[in-house]
Amino acid sequence: MATAVIVAVLAFLWLPIGVLVFMSFADGGVLSFPPDELTLRWYRVFLSNDAALDAIVTTLTISIPATGITVTLATMIAYAIDRYVFLGRSWLQLLATLPIIVPLVVTGVAMVLFFNGTLGLPDYVSVVIAHVIRTIPFATLVILPTFMSFDRGLEEASKDLGADEFETFRQVTLPNVFPGVVAGGLLAFTLSFNEFVYTYFVKGSGDPTLPVYIWNQIRYNVTPEVNVISVVFLAVAVTMVLVAVSLTRVELIVRR
Amino acid sequence: MTESSRSDDGGADSESEPEAVTDGGSAAVVDDRVRDFTTFLRERPQLRTLSIAGPPYGILVFFFAIPLLAMLVVSFQANQIGGAWTVGNYVDFLTSDTYLTVVWRTFLISVQVTAIVAAVGYALAYSIVRFSRRTTLLLLLVILPFWTSYIIRMYAWINILQSDGVLDAILNLVGLPAVGLLYTNTAVLIGFTYVWLPLAVLPFYASLTNLDGDLIEASKDLGAGPIRTFLSVTLPMTINGVITGIVLVFIPTFGSFITPRLLGGTNNVMIGMVIENQFKSAFNWPFGAAIGMIISVVVVTLLLLATRFGGGLFGAGGEAS
Repeated sequence: MATAVIVAVLAFLWLPIGVLVFMSFADGGVLSFPPDELTLRWYRVFLSNDAALDAIVTTLTISIPATGITVTLATMIAYAIDRYVFLGRSWLQLLATLPIIVPLVVTGVAMVLFFNGTLGLPDYVSVVIAHVIRTIPFATLVILPTFMSFDRGLEEASKDLGADEFETFRQVTLPNVFPGVVAGGLLAFTLSFNEFVYTYFVKGSGDPTLPVYIWNQIRYNVTPEVNVISVVFLAVAVTMVLVAVSLTRVELIVRR
Repeated sequence: MTESSRSDDGGADSESEPEAVTDGGSAAVVDDRVRDFTTFLRERPQLRTLSIAGPPYGILVFFFAIPLLAMLVVSFQANQIGGAWTVGNYVDFLTSDTYLTVVWRTFLISVQVTAIVAAVGYALAYSIVRFSRRTTLLLLLVILPFWTSYIIRMYAWINILQSDGVLDAILNLVGLPAVGLLYTNTAVLIGFTYVWLPLAVLPFYASLTNLDGDLIEASKDLGAGPIRTFLSVTLPMTINGVITGIVLVFIPTFGSFITPRLLGGTNNVMIGMVIENQFKSAFNWPFGAAIGMIISVVVVTLLLLATRFGGGLFGAGGEAS
């Protein structure tokens, strides 16, 4: 019984992904299943499609800086919450969790009103900030527990041996929490690479990110290379998450 | 007070800047300066805390909390940002049968999705915790689909559910008539279940892991059947995880526009789609902001209820205190 439940649910979760991968090799295009013949044709089409490749570059120019900023901020949040008792500490924790809970469409609307309407920020800046806000909660959820499970006695020892706070952080604390920080960064990057709703609202027309590009494709003119792009998304996600998991405990990822 | 000491330091820092340039920015000088700075901070604990907690705090307030407040303000303006003050957006929305129907439908779909995901997710988490030894691998297999693109996952279901799609082809093979589920309510439910299942399994799993299996044995030894044991032992002991899972599914479903847009067609309009429409084609931002506020009210109400009944939503890392 239990095995049947597990097998059935895992099949439900993975068969659609299997279908996408399979279709990316299908000769006849999107609408025919099963396909007549297997081919790499759509991969070649994808690799010679400048619009799709540009969309990947656009996504990376947003995701890479956003990930860097998020990891820095999430590490500061984790450090502050773990080490210090200060006024508004629980508010900081709440603020760092809320973006997960407030519906994306609500925050997306609020951001376009404030960033574009009130502040008049350039598109690129708005989108990077939006991605930072989107990824901070997830990075914090992964990084914070690594700070908490870290044995503070090691820091005391370091200080007793004459190291100051900066040396202690760099030579004792950082190496110990580093796997968690990297895992948080990988997940932040994955999330940012996939980010759609905030980007869709905040970003004006022109230079779509890959998720926006694929949204336009699906809504207006599906071409078989969408299947190939699906495989690209899948490959990015699987690689990042597997590396992240190998660095930390699996339960930490999306735990709440 | 802290303000002034901070600017003092800023001054000292910029004074020594040229020195670094002549030194060619050697690492030792930078190290010394950072060390001076940390010493300076250590002697002023409040400033030290401020320098670490302040930047992320400020960014979250300015770029997340204030935009939400700005949305509240704009929702009381007519037609465009800076328009005349009015409650007209709310009145228009709440007196329109069309919109109220959309809200009711959104609510029903969200309840159905939450119920399905809770039942399936709980059964899965229970099976993994109680009957499997390969928990890490299984959890990984459950989580991984969650980390791929949302739109791609919807696109997969378009391929499966559309007329003559994968599902119909399979039904044909076994001699059943085609169903062509795309653009139906069922398609929307399937799509939502698919995306939120991994998210709900994790809190279910976490709470079930903490459950002492001996309690279940004890209940059975005392003569309770499996249903009674579940209702009086297992479920109450894991209620926090269940509530967390429910909130994590209900709220994003209530605000979603991608799934109903791609899988639902014209008969399954949800409230998120109405907002999207205001920003992408009708260009009435204040009206969109008002609908955003209405969604927020629903969300806050649900969160208050959840906290009351014991969901540990904000407890992430609460062990520290």
